[in-house]
Amino acid sequence: MRTNRIIERVLDHGVAPLLLVPSVILLFVILLGPFLYMVWTGFTDLHYALPNRDGAFVGFANFRRLMQDDPIFWHSFWLTMKFVFGVVLVEFMFGLGLALLLFHYIKQHRFILTLLLVPMMLAPIAVGLIWKLLLSGDFGMFTYYLRYFGLADQQTSILGNPSLVMPAIMLIDVWQWTPFVTLVILAGLLSLPKEPFEAAIMDGARPLQIFRDVTLPLLRPIIALVLLLRGIDAFKEFDKVFILTGGGPGISTEMLSIYTYRINFRDWDLGYGAVCAFMVYLVVLIMCSVFYKAVYWNEGRSKTVGKAAS
Amino acid sequence: MAMVATLIAILILFLTPYLWIVMTSFKTRLDILSDAPLWFFTPTSENYPTIFIDKNYLPLVWNSMIVASFSTILSLAFGTPAAYVFARYDFPGKEDLFFFFLTTRMAPPISIVVPMFLLFSVLGLTDKPIAVILAHTTFNVSLVVWMMRGFFADIPREIDEAAMMDGHTRGGTFLRVLLPLAAPGLAATAVLCFILSWNEFLYAFILVAFEGRTLTVGIPGLVTPHGTLWGQVAAVAVVATLPIIFFTFLVQKHLVRGLTFGAVKG
Repeated sequence: MRTNRIIERVLDHGVAPLLLVPSVILLFVILLGPFLYMVWTGFTDLHYALPNRDGAFVGFANFRRLMQDDPIFWHSFWLTMKFVFGVVLVEFMFGLGLALLLFHYIKQHRFILTLLLVPMMLAPIAVGLIWKLLLSGDFGMFTYYLRYFGLADQQTSILGNPSLVMPAIMLIDVWQWTPFVTLVILAGLLSLPKEPFEAAIMDGARPLQIFRDVTLPLLRPIIALVLLLRGIDAFKEFDKVFILTGGGPGISTEMLSIYTYRINFRDWDLGYGAVCAFMVYLVVLIMCSVFYKAVYWNEGRSKTVGKAAS
Repeated sequence: MAMVATLIAILILFLTPYLWIVMTSFKTRLDILSDAPLWFFTPTSENYPTIFIDKNYLPLVWNSMIVASFSTILSLAFGTPAAYVFARYDFPGKEDLFFFFLTTRMAPPISIVVPMFLLFSVLGLTDKPIAVILAHTTFNVSLVVWMMRGFFADIPREIDEAAMMDGHTRGGTFLRVLLPLAAPGLAATAVLCFILSWNEFLYAFILVAFEGRTLTVGIPGLVTPHGTLWGQVAAVAVVATLPIIFFTFLVQKHLVRGLTFGAVKG
């Protein structure tokens, strides 16, 4: 293999960091380049659907519009925030409970865990599709049983009802991602040292005390990590909402990604759309750097931590 | 015992929605639209040939396979040597570069896809699988770098030293000693890359519209406000998801590590 010979030569000549070059070039060309172009577009009035809007420089006009007169953007922003905090909290509670259940009561949790993982490994677009079928107002299996038990009336179509649709989407996300929280926390539980628990039992601590004073503090880094990862992912939510409601009814499920999609690819207002896209990126970048610090604090292998300590 | 019963109840709750779509894919139109949900019915196999052969959805499966395979191969080829460098060498700006890789993995597709769409339009690459392959490679290459760095770091440095003593060069050590040792990790990483690419929707949806459509892109078009043919839609969903469930069984051991960017070892 030719590539192998190149890799070998590079390493033998002691210029190993050269091996980073291909991946970095790829990311710069496909990702960073377009990204910088988008930032530039944010300063122009580029619009594919209106005449005479071919990308003249407009300074911070788009940013002003976002800050001052775009209530729908801020509606989307807060909707997304509510979604993120809601689902992450519920997923964490369910996920932790389930992990503890598996950890304490099931010896062979491997097989059960694999079954549990099914929802989170499905393509999100398929997850949306499955629930669209289940929640259909006419023949949805779920709707049928909700009506059967008197939890919904005959007319209610859950996805068409502005006050029910958001909780429904959040529940679907909980269904999909609770297994992930369980998986990570269970891995954390299995990796905990035995000694603190033995000591606590010797001291006569009750199970609940052990959980509160030993398990939870030891699990804290893992918990922080899983919350952050879920938070970042939930913030980017697009696929499920896109197929379930497309942002509707009205704008009641128009979360940030959906809104940005609409501005760019329905209205073709690319200048303003770039600013919206940039805002989404900014929030994720901030969460990302928090995640990075958390991981490194967790593993203690980083130079940054070392520098901060010295 | 109560706990086991609870667990079984939870399992049923988690799996029923998926089982329902599998069942739907074997139902006739009449059975799907029945007033009360039908749990027992005479299965039909007509939905699968209708959608994949008559309505020509088979090429979408092929596209998905092409995109997922090539983006996986590209990501591994680019990412594995980089991961090795991160695990074994020190150089200025190393951790900053590592963070850059993380941000590319985490970047919200919606904020990247717009300019990416413009770039590929200029290059004349829209509606070609290569556009989606490159897009998916951008997030998968970072996953490879993050995961494989951990796997290489797990191999003790003494192994490198022993290999060098045996007369291997540095390059030989990497290719003929470390890489085989990291092979299980490499395989798990590859499967995970494949899954992520196969499941991805937004990049593919924007970048390919007609000939190059992947399976996930083909799904929303099947759902119309009135008269959705749910049996056929369900058949597409099953084909889009069953291989992934099988793959999940294969890599379950390394799943935790892969999905937490190496932060938690499963």
